[in-house]
Amino acid sequence: MKLPLRLALRHLLAGWVRNGLTVMALSIALFLFCFLISVVRSLDLAIDAAASNRLVTQSAVSLFIDLPLSYQGKIESIDGVEGTTKFQWFGGYYREPANFFAQFGIDHERFFDLYEGDIEISEGPAGVTGPAARTAVIEALAADRRACVLGEGLRSRFEKTDFEVGDTFPVIPTIFQKFDGSAWEFIIVGFYRPKRSNVDATTMYFRHDYLEESLEGGIAAGPEGAGVYMVNVADGSDPERVSSDIDALFENGPQATMTTSEAAFQAIFASMLGNVPLFLGTLGGAVLFAVLFSVINTMLIAARQRRREAGILQALGFSPSTSAWLLVFEGVLISLIGGGLGLLLAGGSAPAMAEALGTSIPNYAVDGATIIQGILLALLMGILAGAAAGLPMVRLQPTEALRSEG
Amino acid sequence: MSSFISLSKVSKSYRRAGEVLKVLDAIDIDISEQDFVALMGPSGSGKTTILNLIGGLDTPDSGTVTVGGRTVSEMSARALPGWRARNVGFVFQSFNLIPVLTAFENVLLPLQLTPLSARERKEQANFALEVVGLTDRGSHRPSQLSGGEEQRVAIARAIATDPEVIIADEPTGDLDRISADSVLDLLRRLNNELDKTILMVTHDPAAAEFARRQLHLDKGVLIEDSAGSQAEDAR
Repeated sequence: MKLPLRLALRHLLAGWVRNGLTVMALSIALFLFCFLISVVRSLDLAIDAAASNRLVTQSAVSLFIDLPLSYQGKIESIDGVEGTTKFQWFGGYYREPANFFAQFGIDHERFFDLYEGDIEISEGPAGVTGPAARTAVIEALAADRRACVLGEGLRSRFEKTDFEVGDTFPVIPTIFQKFDGSAWEFIIVGFYRPKRSNVDATTMYFRHDYLEESLEGGIAAGPEGAGVYMVNVADGSDPERVSSDIDALFENGPQATMTTSEAAFQAIFASMLGNVPLFLGTLGGAVLFAVLFSVINTMLIAARQRRREAGILQALGFSPSTSAWLLVFEGVLISLIGGGLGLLLAGGSAPAMAEALGTSIPNYAVDGATIIQGILLALLMGILAGAAAGLPMVRLQPTEALRSEG
Repeated sequence: MSSFISLSKVSKSYRRAGEVLKVLDAIDIDISEQDFVALMGPSGSGKTTILNLIGGLDTPDSGTVTVGGRTVSEMSARALPGWRARNVGFVFQSFNLIPVLTAFENVLLPLQLTPLSARERKEQANFALEVVGLTDRGSHRPSQLSGGEEQRVAIARAIATDPEVIIADEPTGDLDRISADSVLDLLRRLNNELDKTILMVTHDPAAAEFARRQLHLDKGVLIEDSAGSQAEDAR
């Protein structure tokens, strides 16, 4: 290695406490940046990956207002509708609130046909796997109203990781409270795995009629109806026309509806959290800016300590820009080490993050574009910090530099 | 002997706290090739300024500075570093070694600017360390060396590129008598055996005695030009 570059490396090691702290700050910032960008990308991906032939019918007033059960048959009578299923948000948790996950009451006899392209049954009753598992699960669901199907991701998410088909699975409700205060008990009849990236692997699907009968039977309290209807549009039919027909049908009530494509629904759902991409982008940008100032500060201190050295180098015959370039090199090195560690952390923790974020952001992943973006940002920060510290060196007079304390 | 270094009507002022401080006032100095000159005088008399002007670290307000036939005072800021690298070696009072580099690497540093191969640079650096008697201390950092050893490494660095002129600004100012004598003896050998032209600023009359010629300055004016003991010895 060229001696001047070795000189920069030695300085880096000599100031290991200060430089180490800057590297740590950078790695945390780049990790955070990567995480936030990946969340934004994953939300976008969920919208992009939504089924093009599926519509979602919800109350025109709010997603939190249920639609009457009588709507389902009317929707199915519209030309171009292939099939529908209710989707009722249950909002419970397993054992303790920290174990919150998604549960939906669905029409068990229709759901697996409508979602054939989205999920596949990986395990059914008595350890059945492969294509036979799907039939076995549908039969098991029909046989027991307490039956449920779990996403495979739930197996590793909770403390109890050895869920098996046939186990009782208690869910403590937050919306549909039982009058005796007990948990709802479901029986696991199978596990599914997502076939598409926007499908969550940690959801529980159960029979909507179990919920319906419990409400009618006075066992539990809660809103009656369906949160939304998922509507599959038949091949060759125009989803926009079907959507308009559904909304026109219920225009005069009792509940006006709003029917959108699944992608638009995902976008609306995401927007309920506010302008998430803008918020996360601002947050990430602010963190990076704060750390950029920290790196600049580190390099300015280094430059101050190198003034005499700059004078020595000039006396030896090196040009004034040599010291500036060495500072830029040092800044880039610090930024790339810090940034690299942050990106490694982001990449390495992605599977664990994906699992933790499962229900909210089902397809969280740190992709190559994010990593490249992170590397370029780290490089830019290093160049900026090095240049901020190095530029004054170019104008430094050797006699002035040699008189410096540093 | 013809003049190798020449200062002709050189003036230099500095602005300090809003006041103009005249450091050199139309001074004329001629120094022969292979001479060993001690510059003496009280603080602020302009000794270091003369060294900086000859070494191309500073430029005069008026007058010309010539070294080896080149008018240094007219060189561009861009050309000066390269000229310094080829022609001048600096030795400072506080040694000015780079603390994170070993003695050998410090000596190797100016050789990076030469067209020599990596092997030749190493040979040259080893030779310079051998001249100052520190071949066994090459792997030591400056903090692991005594003051005298540090200054000898600095001298090795100054001669590594084989420049014609060595500029030493109070090279013994931070040393005890024994180390100072050792350094001065080394400078005298460089002058006698390697034919280096040496300009040394010193406050110490005993150090000045090692030179062939002594120039006394006061308030930017040359007030005395006398022969040193080395000149007597040479005679």
